[in-house]
Amino acid sequence: MTTAPEVAPVTRQLTQPMLNAYADASGDHNPIHIDEAFAKTTAMGGTIAHGMLVLSFISEMMTGAFGRAWLAGGRLDVRFRAPSRPGVTVTARARYTETKDGRHRYAVECVSQTDEVLIAGTAELPGVM
Amino acid sequence: MTVLTDLPAGHDFPPIAFSVNAAQSRAYRAATGDTLPLYDEAGLVPPLAVAALALGALLESVSLPPGTLHASESVTYVSPVPVDATLECRARLAQRSVRGGWVVSVLDSDILLDGTTAVSTRATVMSPAAPS
Repeated sequence: MTTAPEVAPVTRQLTQPMLNAYADASGDHNPIHIDEAFAKTTAMGGTIAHGMLVLSFISEMMTGAFGRAWLAGGRLDVRFRAPSRPGVTVTARARYTETKDGRHRYAVECVSQTDEVLIAGTAELPGVM
Repeated sequence: MTVLTDLPAGHDFPPIAFSVNAAQSRAYRAATGDTLPLYDEAGLVPPLAVAALALGALLESVSLPPGTLHASESVTYVSPVPVDATLECRARLAQRSVRGGWVVSVLDSDILLDGTTAVSTRATVMSPAAPS
C-alpha cells in the first residue's frame, strides 16, 4: 500500500499592503487589487487579492511538504471560487485522495476564517519520494 | 496598448525573454510571506513566481480590461528554475468566448528554460464585456 505524507497547512492574513507589494513584485497592477476607489465601483465592492497571490499559499504548502519533488513534477488545477479580501485570514490545506499512475493526488483548498471556500482544486505530484 | 479582449482566439503573443533575479525572487517571497529556506539554499525561484512574472511581462504588451477576474488556473512544474536563468515565455490566447456579459479568455503559456518547458500554465480570466 502506498502512503502519502500529510501536508501541513499554511495560514496567512491578507492585508492591503500585502496586495500592493504583490502587485509590485508580480507586475500585475490591475486596479481591482490596489485601487480602493475604483474597486468600490465594481461588483466586488472593494479590492480583492490577486488569485495568484492566494494560490501561492497552496504552492508554498506543497513545497514545504515535498521540496524538490514538487518543484519538478507538481501540478495544480484550481478554480477561484470566491474573492479574497484584505482582512481575511486564509488557510491553505490539503487532503490526500489517491495515488494513481504513480502520482499522489490531493484535494486542495484555501478557506477563510469562516470556512468560506476561496480556492478549490487538486494538486498532484510524482509518488516516488 | 492592445486589450486582451480585442484579440482573436488563436492569437500567438510574441515570445518574451525574461529572467528572475535574486532581488525579484526575494520581493515575491516577501509579498507572499513565503519563508521556506529551500529557495535560497538551492538558488531557485518559486515556480509560481515564474508563472506570475511571466504574466506580468505579458501585461507589458497587452492590457486587461479593468474589473478582469481570475476564474481558474492550471500550473505544471516540469523543472526547477534557477535564479538569473534566461527564460522565454510563449503565450497564446487559446480560447475566447462571450457569456452573460463577460468575455472569457483562456491563456496558455509555456515558460522555457534552455529551450525546454520548465513551467506551463493555463489561466482563465473573465472581463466585463464592453457595452454594445
